[in-house]
Order: sequence, then structure tokens, then C-alpha cells
Amino acid sequence: MRKLLLGLTFAMVASVAQADYTMIVPQKPGGGTSVWAEIVAKELEKYLGEDINITHIPGARDIPGFNTWHKEMREDDKVIMVSHGGNGVSFLQEEVAYDYRQYESIGLMNLNIIAGKAIGDDMTAPRFAAGSGMVPEAFAMTMLLCGPKNSIDEYVECFKENVTWVSGMSGSERRLAFRRGELNGTRENPAAYKKHVEPDENAEIWFHHGILQSDGTHSDDPNYPGYQFEILFEQRWGVAPSGDFYNAYKLVKSFRDGMQKALWVNAGNPNATVLQTALTEMSNNADSRAIIEKKVGKYEWKIGDDGNSHRDTLMSFVTESALTDLVQFNTEALGLRSIVKDNLTK
Amino acid sequence: MTTVMALIAGTLYGLIIGILPGAGATTGLIFVFTFITLFPDPYLAVVFVMAVVAASTTGDTYTGVLLGIPGANSSAATMVDGFPLALQGKATYAISAAVTTSTLNGLLWGLLTFLLLPYYTNLIMIFGVPELWAFTVLALVCVTFITNKYWFRSCLALSLGLLLGLIGVDPVTNADRWTGGWEYLGAGIQLLPMVAGLFAIPELFEGLKTRSSTSVITTGNNLQTKQGIIAVWQNKWDALRGGLIGAFIGLLPGLGGAVADWIAYSSTVASHPNDKFGNGNIKGVIGPEGANNAQKATSMIPTVLFGIPGAPFAAIIIGLFAYLDFELGTLELANDGKFFNSLLIGFILATVLVGWLCLLVTPLIARVAQIPYKYYFPVLLGVIVLACVQYTGRWEDYFILILCSALGMLAKKYKFSRPALLLAFILADRIEALTVQMTGLYTVERLLDRNIFLVLIVITVITLVWGLTNKRKIDYA
Repeated sequence: MRKLLLGLTFAMVASVAQADYTMIVPQKPGGGTSVWAEIVAKELEKYLGEDINITHIPGARDIPGFNTWHKEMREDDKVIMVSHGGNGVSFLQEEVAYDYRQYESIGLMNLNIIAGKAIGDDMTAPRFAAGSGMVPEAFAMTMLLCGPKNSIDEYVECFKENVTWVSGMSGSERRLAFRRGELNGTRENPAAYKKHVEPDENAEIWFHHGILQSDGTHSDDPNYPGYQFEILFEQRWGVAPSGDFYNAYKLVKSFRDGMQKALWVNAGNPNATVLQTALTEMSNNADSRAIIEKKVGKYEWKIGDDGNSHRDTLMSFVTESALTDLVQFNTEALGLRSIVKDNLTK
Repeated sequence: MTTVMALIAGTLYGLIIGILPGAGATTGLIFVFTFITLFPDPYLAVVFVMAVVAASTTGDTYTGVLLGIPGANSSAATMVDGFPLALQGKATYAISAAVTTSTLNGLLWGLLTFLLLPYYTNLIMIFGVPELWAFTVLALVCVTFITNKYWFRSCLALSLGLLLGLIGVDPVTNADRWTGGWEYLGAGIQLLPMVAGLFAIPELFEGLKTRSSTSVITTGNNLQTKQGIIAVWQNKWDALRGGLIGAFIGLLPGLGGAVADWIAYSSTVASHPNDKFGNGNIKGVIGPEGANNAQKATSMIPTVLFGIPGAPFAAIIIGLFAYLDFELGTLELANDGKFFNSLLIGFILATVLVGWLCLLVTPLIARVAQIPYKYYFPVLLGVIVLACVQYTGRWEDYFILILCSALGMLAKKYKFSRPALLLAFILADRIEALTVQMTGLYTVERLLDRNIFLVLIVITVITLVWGLTNKRKIDYA
């Protein structure tokens, strides 16, 4: 027995001494980002030459895992944080410890989110699944429905009058409710849209949010040309969207979609370059890219400096008025608890 | 690696996982993430995964019957009459009946599921939010008013379960609710410590009192195996009804094996008003046991057709299959005959294999109960604790497990229905969400137009009245 214990102890010490990389995933195994992280880790290992272990730190709205990494683990040079778009939205409107400005981007995937609708429905009375992850869709459908307005109060009123905002649906329940016709609108990332909405003969595209460019604009998605929110708004109302409400929309959609999947290390991490190089090699390999794109769709990686620059572009959308308007719409129209975070503009 | 090897490996792994107290298909499948990529062919991995599901579902009968500890929360109903049978020296009889029922229902519903998978779409589509709400309420009424004669205490247990289940996130405001500022509770109390605390731990410590030196259970012999098989034939309608209930519940997204088992058990009790249950009635084993296997089979229908998990274990399967590049719910996959064959082979052949294996070695495995309890008590306790601290691995996991265990012991001692508490805990957020969704999407007029919804409401009311007036109910808490 003593020999066995000694052997086990030696094996554990040896395992620690190897000091493989660890990816912190802020959700349970089986979740969307968890599966993505598993796939990326397996591919990245080939180019990194070291193993990557996945550690799951789940919790409400996937915040505790990111907070734990920020407070307790980010000084470890071998620990990588995995984040997703939901973390970006929480960063804007909730009391969280993590702060993207303090990290170095290993790489991130700049995605687009696609909204579908029941075929032929004019969407004057949307029935849509609620949740903090749906905030950008709420902004977009409100503007498409209500047109140019002068104040946030008018948008809040218009939303309440016209939209049925259905709480408590998981992603799978939302998909089923949409297929059954209980909801007339839904939204998905590009890969999930292809899987769940496109094959549905009773569904068609409603709008998409566009792809964030380095100059801070959003461009049309070549996979769904002509359905970008900004294009549809201008077609419907004769003017381009603008104003405070639009700025708040642009802020929240960019933080959700612009960092839909991301890998971070602490600023100054000496292994950052090694990781970025491995990720570059991985993203240049057609086979590896195909495996990952199957999960999220065909969207480019922004690696290293490009990722940091992309993050900086997102931060340029953070203004006091945009944050205030976001929180007012969240609380008054959507019923979501959220706070104005003054420290983000400093 | 060949299909046969994948099948045998999955069956043995699933059987072991099923036997472990507090484990079961969901926990077993989570571990598969660590080695799923080692399979040389993804279709072999599908065979393996389905074999794990089938085998663990049959295997979880053992600890419930032998030790009074459910192998998974879905086998708790079998335990109510199975464990008293074991105490009477009829462990092999109970297990053989349970395994036979499981195997037959697994085969029947497995074949119906996997051979006819493409034809089930319409069933899912007509069961909307109101029907899911009514069905969830029916499940709660069944477990509260039928499975325990102390219905007022059951109501209190139900209320407590609902309160505990609602800790976490408010689905409307998306803000933390009743967490007391403790971040750990933001995602709610985890299921595993609640299940272990309510059932496994109290039974383990009960065993310390009743079986401190040596087991009182005798395992019988091969004759009991035959008697168990014969008992299934004699109570075939209970077995088939349980399977039918399980199969139906499996079709409905989110309702797990526990719901199927308890409704099947309740229906068995209701079908035999002159029988006593809770003291070792073989009908109480045969009724619920097949529901579990049937539910596992049919819950693959929404999972495969829509990528919508029919039960918690199916959510893990979606992740595993995504890992293997099988995108559930796509037309591409619907045309992949080899994938469907792998599902069929894995589930059906593993069901046969594990059934045969269990019947063959039940007298041997049942002898585990003859080992002095003091030897396997710490092992079982260690395994349960290990399984329950997987969430964060920190002190909070241990703390919650201790609290849940204390709650389970008190509930057991004072006859507050633990099944009602557990089911309410599991379904609390779902019933809340469905209520919000139903009231948001439907008017009263629209609800009155939905026939299935109305039928379910009528059944619920009848069940409630029957439960309140009928005095011949079990004494299980």
C-alpha cells in the first residue's frame, strides 16, 4: 500500500512538473463554448507541442469562472482564459471582476449573429425568447419596428407595445418553440443557423448584425448579403440608423459578437508569443480551420496584435451615454437587472 | 478497434458506472469526454456512447435494490420496493425482475425508436409550452399525492424543493435570486449533491445502524433469477405500462428519468389498490424499472432529430457527438445511415448484452451485500463525495453536500417525502419558466382550444382527488 501511495504521489508530482497549459472554461462540459474550447485545444496542441488541459469553472451566466481566473489564476503563465460573447455583454452591464483591458489577446473569433423569422411574417408583433444574450436582437427589432425615434423612452414604450418577450427559454427550448410556431423569431450563430433555421421550410432570414471591421463599422455578411440590420433599417425608414439608441445597440452587439469566442492571457505573459504563433499556424491549416469552422461557421481569427486592436475598437464604443441607454432599455423594456458601470469609461 | 470491442467496452463501462451509487448515465458520459477522441472511427464512438447509456440504465438497479442507494436519481423509485425485497433475502429475485423488465422495455422501445426515428417529428411538434407545463404539474402531483400517504408533509417537502430549486438566477430579470450574495449559488444548488444528500447519504448512514457488523441480506440462488423472470411475465402489464410512460416522457424535452420512474411507480400503485407497496412488492420494482430504459431510448428522438436534449444525459451526448463532428438536427445527418445504424447497434446490442450479463452474474454481484458493511461503507461514501465535488472541487461543494445530507436525513426520519422534494427541486426552474412562457404566449381562450392540454389538466385533477382520498398508499419518504 505504501508503495502504491508513493507511486501515486510521484505520478502526481511528475504531472505537475510537466506544467501543461490549462484552458479555463467558464461553463460546464457540453456547453457551446466548452465544446468549442475542447476542439480548439485539441487542434492547438499539435502546433504548440504541449498538452492543453481543460478546467471548467461553471457558474451563473458564466461569470464566476472568468472572475476566478482574473482574481486568482491570471498570474500563472500557463493558464489561458476562454471567453464568449455572453461574457462581453455581462462586462458592460454587470458587476464583474474581469476587465478585457488588462489582458493580452491570444486570438478571437469575430462572428456575426443571424436572426430568423417565420416565413412570410411581417414581424410587426415579434414573439422572441428573452435573456441577456438576446439584448442586441431586442435593440435591432425595436428599431426596425419603431423606426427613428427621439428618445429612449419612446423606444421602451414601442417595445412594450409590440414585442412579446418570452423569458426562461434555453437555447434548445427556443429552437423547438420556433419550430412549433410559438415564437415567430429566433437567432443563432452562423453554424447553428445553418443547422437549425435554414433547413426549416417555414423559416427565413430576418436580419443579421453585420461583421465588425477594424475601423469600427459593421459590414454586410457575404453569407447573407442584404440582410444587415443597417441596410434593412435604411430600406424601411429611408434614413440610416443613428442616435443614442443606435449607439447603445452598436455597443452591445459588438461586445457580444465581436468577441464571440476568445482566448486571453494576462498582459505581459511571457508565453503569449508562443501561443499566438501556434494559433496562427493552426488557423493557416485548412484541416484545423475546417474542424473549428464546423462549430461556429466561417469567420476569421484575429490573432495577437489584431485581437488586441479589435478589443480596443470595441472599447471605443464604450461611452457614458451608450452605457446609460443600454441599462435603461435593459431595465425598463426587457426587465433585466443591469447597472451603469462608470469605471468602464475611465 | 471493431464494433464488437466498442460495444463490449461501452457495456462494461456503463454497467460499472450504473452500479456506482450516485453516478448513472449523465456522470458516466461526462467522463467520456476525456477519451472520446481516442476512437479511430467516430462511428465506433457512437456505438460506445449508446452502449454506455443502455448499460448504465440497467446497471443502476443494483445499488438501489441491494443497498437502498439509487445508482442514479432515476432509479430511486425502484429502490422503494426493491430494497425491502433484498432485506427479505430476495435480492436476486428483485434484480432479476428489474433487469428483465429493463431489457424487454429497452429492446422494445429501442427498436421502435431507432428503426422509426425519422417518423416521430410530428409528436414533438404538437406538444407545446402549455402541454409541457401541464405535464410537469402532473408529475409533481403524482409524486406528492400518490407515492406517500403523509400528503401534507409531502406538500411541505414539495414546497421546500421548489424553494431550493429556485435558488440561482431569476429567469425574468436574469439577476441572482436568494443567493445571499454567495456567488457559488448563482448557478443554483447542483443536482448531484442534492440527490446524494437526499438519498445516498441517509441510506448509507442508516446502514451503519442496521448493518454494522454484517449484512442481513441473503442473496438467494439461481432459483430466484427464474422467479424474477417469471414475475415479469405475471406482471407484464405493469412492465409494459411503465415502459409506455417512460417512452412518452422521453419524448418530451427536459423531463428526465426520475419523472418517468415516479409516474410509472405511481401508476403501478394506483393500478393495484388492494396491494401494499413499500414493503417489498415485486410490482413496485417491475412497474418503474422499464420506464427508465424506455425513456433513455425515446429521449434520443428530440436529441437526434432537433439537437434538443430529451433529458440531461442527452445534453452531454450532443456535446460528445459535436466532438465527433456529428451535427445533430441536420438534414446531412438524417441521411447518414451508418450513424443511425451505430445508434441502433450500440443501444440494442448493449441492452441485450447487459441484460444477459446481469442475469448471469446477479447472484455473484448480489453477494456484495454480504460483505461486512463497515468495509464498503467508507468506499461508497468516498465515491459519492468524489462525484459530488466535481462541480468546483472547492469547500463549497462539500458544504452543500453536508447541508443536503442533513436535509435528507431529517426528511427520512420525519417522513417528509424525499422523492417529492427532489422532483420539485429538479423541476422548479422549469415549472417557473413554463408558467412565464405560457402566460406570455397564450390567452385563456387559446389554452381552452388545446385538447391535449385539457386532457392533461383533467388527469391531474383526477390524480389529485384520488391521491387525497385514497388511503392505501405507500409509507416511503
